[in-house]
Amino acid sequence: MNQAMRRIYVVLVGLLLASGGLQFYFAAVGAFTKPQTEDSFALHTLNGRMVFPILAILATIAAALAKAPGKLIGLTILPLGLGIVQVLIIVLGNVIGGATEQRTTPLALAILGLHAVNGMIILGVIGNVMRQARTHLTAAATAR
Amino acid sequence: MSTIGLIAVDLTVALLCAAAWLGAGITAATGRGGTAKALTAGAVAVTLARVVVVVLLAGRGWWFVQDKVTFALPLLGLAAVVAVGVLVSRGASAATVPLLAAGFTATSGLLLPFFSGYPMRVDQALISISLIGAATLAAWRVTSPAPVRVGRFVAAVAAVGLAGAALGLLPAQQVDAGEQHHHHAVGAQVATAPAPGGQVRRFELAARRASVTLASGTRTEAWTYNGSAPGPEITATEGDLLEVTLTNVDIDSGVTLHWHGYDVPNSEDGAPGLTQDAVMPGGRYVYRFLANQVGTYWYHTHQASAEGVRKGLFGTLIVTPRAATPSADVDLTLPVHTFDGIVALGSHDGVTQKAVPQGTPVRLRVINTDSNPHRISLAGTAFRVVAVDGNDLHEPGEVSGVALRLAAGGRYDFAFSMPAFSMPGSGGGVALLVDDDPVRGALRLGDGAPTGTSPDTSAWPELDLLSYGSPLDAQSAPFGPGSRFDRDFTMVLDRGLAMVDGKPMYAHTVNGLGHPNVPTQRVREGDLVRFTVVNRGLDTHPWHLHGHRVLVLSKDGRNVSGSPLWLDTFDVRPGEFWRVALRANNRGVWMNHCHNLGHADQGMALHLSYDG
Repeated sequence: MNQAMRRIYVVLVGLLLASGGLQFYFAAVGAFTKPQTEDSFALHTLNGRMVFPILAILATIAAALAKAPGKLIGLTILPLGLGIVQVLIIVLGNVIGGATEQRTTPLALAILGLHAVNGMIILGVIGNVMRQARTHLTAAATAR
Repeated sequence: MSTIGLIAVDLTVALLCAAAWLGAGITAATGRGGTAKALTAGAVAVTLARVVVVVLLAGRGWWFVQDKVTFALPLLGLAAVVAVGVLVSRGASAATVPLLAAGFTATSGLLLPFFSGYPMRVDQALISISLIGAATLAAWRVTSPAPVRVGRFVAAVAAVGLAGAALGLLPAQQVDAGEQHHHHAVGAQVATAPAPGGQVRRFELAARRASVTLASGTRTEAWTYNGSAPGPEITATEGDLLEVTLTNVDIDSGVTLHWHGYDVPNSEDGAPGLTQDAVMPGGRYVYRFLANQVGTYWYHTHQASAEGVRKGLFGTLIVTPRAATPSADVDLTLPVHTFDGIVALGSHDGVTQKAVPQGTPVRLRVINTDSNPHRISLAGTAFRVVAVDGNDLHEPGEVSGVALRLAAGGRYDFAFSMPAFSMPGSGGGVALLVDDDPVRGALRLGDGAPTGTSPDTSAWPELDLLSYGSPLDAQSAPFGPGSRFDRDFTMVLDRGLAMVDGKPMYAHTVNGLGHPNVPTQRVREGDLVRFTVVNRGLDTHPWHLHGHRVLVLSKDGRNVSGSPLWLDTFDVRPGEFWRVALRANNRGVWMNHCHNLGHADQGMALHLSYDG
């Protein structure tokens, strides 16, 4: 039972990693779509606002059920928190930078660029979670 | 600082606050007591800073802080006091769970504005408390070295959450007891004959799919009236009777005609489900109304309007005065529309060139048919803004080197005499630019020779129409900010979780609710009605009431100091609040909604209805 749960945990973290990686792919798709419309980033938005948060929550629940150490459970929910920061970077970047619907400003872009930096941090965190989740799985296998 | 600036500061401080409390909890859990104490001190400082920011924000309007003052901050204060108390008395390790609880409370305070609106409701508070409780219990369970029994706490948290969910699912209260509106609006009589001297002008519009070719040769699959987008220009002279027959060939979702800015009798307004049924394929509807308002207007479908208008179901409506002398020799109607991401004036993407002799009086009628605002700049000449939303301004002064922001659905009429020589920086001739773009959707008026380099208007300041032109003397004004109002409605616009057309969604809300759950505004004929429209969210909302024009009283508490400003669409930007008023004189049931049509589809719409 616990062994199976640990495996499910690893699978969910793997899906979370895939969802995070796809965000970069979808961002490029949106950036190169011509003409640019509100729908250009539809895949990026859907994956980022729906799929990724749900996977993050499921992975965290799986971590708890798999009896992962508290630290690892906390680390598993971290991508969700950083995902919220992703949204706030856009909101605050536009407002602080004084951007309008028609025109961005250099300050706004300086802040908005952090969206990519934070994205890489999120991927790094998930990679770290993946490594520890696999260790957790192997530990169970050897303990048997 | 602007209100939206303060909102941004508040969000930033809220983010730091959540990070500091969570960081203190995490460091306490991992045995770094020193760091935990330092972070706690930082968290307390940031929390106090947030209180200061919220007090400043409260000065801009209670709508902006109600959730923070009555719920988020008191709860955070309580959690902070407990956490600091335990930390001081029993050390960092013992304070792990209280510190994390404060972190979860701070996080909920950060996220709350994105999910709940004004006024914040009890069900939202209960669900927030339940979620904070659940997170705290999970943290307790995970961080506790010895097994803890959390069963009864889980039950309590679940009970609070369920109570909140149940309250939230209760049917929303309809003002004046859940009345149902059907298609029997008791509106004004429909005219059957033109005014003396006028004539009957008949138009036939057939809605159908068509491939439309823009001036550049780009083809786009459009929904059209009579195969063109924009649809046929409808023109009339003051006093004419317009009779427009709408048929639908193959627009499966149905169509209507709404006369934007025209105060037609209720039955002619084209609001599906309210004043008529949508015209389905094979169906027809005849609209009749007197052309008794002179000026620049437009028409568009109101059925599934976000998609329909975007795809091309719109056209222009121009009514000229009866007095024979035309005010301008060159009179151009320029509907700005974005076809599949391509900005065009009418069907002209790219640059439209036109030769205009020097000294010619020119009138440009710019109509924003998109769902987003556009920045309009006129380079190479001084000009006057002679009308806004079809209504003439009082003593509009000559301006130059300024741009104007045109709300979605709004119109500006510009007038000038073709200058005798090119002004420096214009690139030769006169240029009208949309969003400062010199090559996409631009108009160039010159002497016929190719015009030179494009003007750069991007740094131009925005003309403030609230102080443009001159006020009427007090006796001539029908009413003003000091009048006594019979009805006073407040609409706070935001985003949040709400039911829209029976489905829960991340909606655009009015007072925290989505269409059709927003209570209907009731007025009596003859009432002087005031609206306060507040934007508490982060998106721009062009507000549009059908069947009436409103007189702007003030924006952000500052009264209009220029010409009286009668609008049918006004752009309420994030952090702004507008006060506008009208005399209720057009009976019926009317849509009152955001003219970012996507927002309207996602809940931001309500009805205004006449008693009796």
